[in-house]
Amino acid sequence: MNEETIYQYLKKKGASRRDFLKLCGTLVGAMGLFRSPLEGSDLLDPTIFESNTIQKIAHALENKPRVPVIWLEFQDCAGCSEALTRSQSPSLIDLVLNTISVEYHETLTAAAGFQAEANKEAIMQAYHGQYVLVVEGSIPTAGNGAYCTVGGRSALELLTEAAEGAAAIIATGNCAAFGGLPKANPNPTGAKGVWEIITDKPVVNIPGCPAIPEVFTGTLAHFVVFGSLPNLDDLNRPMTFYGKTIHDRCLRRPFYEEGKFALSFDDQGAKEGWCLYKLGCKGPTTYNACASIKWDAGLSFPVQSGHPCLGCSQPDFWDGGGFYQSQSAPLNSPEITAVGAAVGAGVAVGAAMAAGSAAQKKKVEAEEKRSES
Amino acid sequence: MNWNAFLEFTRGQLFNVALLFFIGGMVYRLVRVILLGWKRDRVPPAGSKLGGVVKTYLKGFLIWPFVPWVKRTFSRNQVMYLAGGLFHLGLFATILLGTPHMLVWKSLLGFGWPTLPLPIVDWLAAVAIAAMITLLINRRVNPVLKLISGPAEFFNWLFVFLPMVTGYIMTHHLWFPYEVLFSLHMLSVDVLLIWIPMSRISHFIFYFFSRTIHGTEFGKRAVNP
Ligand code: HEM
Ligand code: SF4
Repeated sequence: MNEETIYQYLKKKGASRRDFLKLCGTLVGAMGLFRSPLEGSDLLDPTIFESNTIQKIAHALENKPRVPVIWLEFQDCAGCSEALTRSQSPSLIDLVLNTISVEYHETLTAAAGFQAEANKEAIMQAYHGQYVLVVEGSIPTAGNGAYCTVGGRSALELLTEAAEGAAAIIATGNCAAFGGLPKANPNPTGAKGVWEIITDKPVVNIPGCPAIPEVFTGTLAHFVVFGSLPNLDDLNRPMTFYGKTIHDRCLRRPFYEEGKFALSFDDQGAKEGWCLYKLGCKGPTTYNACASIKWDAGLSFPVQSGHPCLGCSQPDFWDGGGFYQSQSAPLNSPEITAVGAAVGAGVAVGAAMAAGSAAQKKKVEAEEKRSES
Repeated sequence: MNWNAFLEFTRGQLFNVALLFFIGGMVYRLVRVILLGWKRDRVPPAGSKLGGVVKTYLKGFLIWPFVPWVKRTFSRNQVMYLAGGLFHLGLFATILLGTPHMLVWKSLLGFGWPTLPLPIVDWLAAVAIAAMITLLINRRVNPVLKLISGPAEFFNWLFVFLPMVTGYIMTHHLWFPYEVLFSLHMLSVDVLLIWIPMSRISHFIFYFFSRTIHGTEFGKRAVNP
């Protein structure tokens, strides 16, 4: 299967040369160049902008076999897979998915049980060092990994085994990237993101809840075409898509500047489309492409439809203050008992010190009297 | 530790500790001053204590400062008078009437109030920053101020200046990612909260405390032993 090139594979599926070149053009878009202004485009390989880019991509696809993908799911909801397979921009997603061959995916694989596991092992051996490992869901580390097992083996074990022979690792969704919901305080399963466990290989994080399908496929396309990973930020997220905050690109931003805020979900401000900062918007600190790529084929995104950004592409967003509590408010204000204790301590220490100085004053005065007499 | 986690720390635990230290520290300072002792009224006062207090506030706080020639504050050191006034104006406008700051108060007190549009707060913040720089230069140049300025005075300046500049840079999205400046803003605020009870910035409470005491003294018109 993988011996034929991507081009041959597409031809076999009935694609013409023209279709093929269209795919190459679409891939340029998929890599993050398909909406202007370009996000972090200054960080991309400048050769991408040369006129023969499409030819370069065509050349790569004519010579490269489809990339085998192993997709592991751990403590997840399959939401990232759902978002991808039900994406409203099927042409783009389909095209990218045509350049890979998903060999193992717990939700999508037709085979089941030991058969599926055996197939996965065969693929891992046959394509050792070549396959892309995609991880969805966090990895529980408490209780020796007992909180999540597949075929009787722990997620931790399955991940380390699969990571060993992977050419690239992509953690999709906030759970796989940063631990997500399972990691929320008090994190009973000791959930961790992939990059906290696999430290000897670069892990590309595509956080989001779920990850934006176009961002996932764009990153994958980069690997397929260039055989390398895109530029990453300090949280290992592709700069192309995570270079700017929601607030940076927000359509409600002028209202923020003017101080016009919606105060509830059905007041006049909400109807006028005013800024959602006071309703808890986390847009200013959230890096993702929602405001430019949007969802459902560019139809809308949460802030546009009237809901504050939850910050789902940031680490620990479940513990980052209430979803409807404004971002500048302290994460938790001190308990009334703690305030009482602080006041009590202030009074006690103050009174003790004052008593000490009073006693000293008396002593000094007594001594002065004695020396006078 | 990434900036995200650091922000969580400076907005969360560290802020909590700093706030409690601030509250405890200010209570301590007040208790110390109160327990220094009170003069008892040995004869019934001839005047009204309350009247004295009202008068002192009008003179020292609400009216006289804005009529600069009366107490010659202006003619003595114009820079201090103007820059000092503008600094306080900018400071209070930002921390009371800026939207993000009002929301801090709201989360702590349970109620909020209307705020000013960002560009107005922003200009006032810029004015306050410029005023602070002017005041620092004045302190380094004026011979009298030079004599009475020790390290504490410069720390006072620094620990107020840091939240102001980090807040300003953050609002303008300059140079650094937002969460970096947000973290530094919060860190500097936490430092300020811890510093205030140990420093003369505590005048924001003691000013009113001593004004009140002096007012009663001025107003009561009685002979003190
Ligand atoms: C818990 C305490 C505080 C919090 C949570 C906080 C939060 C913030 C936030 C979120 C902003 C940026 C708003 C934006 O991006 O538009 C900001 C701006 C600012 N903050 Fe604070 N702040 C605090 C205390 C202070 C204090 C004590 C000072 C001054 C000594 C201060 C001075 C400023 C200034 C000057 C600005 C810029 C305002 C502008 O240019 O419009 N902040 N603060
Ligand atoms: S709605 Fe959110 S992201 Fe948009 S301007 Fe307001 S705070 Fe920023």
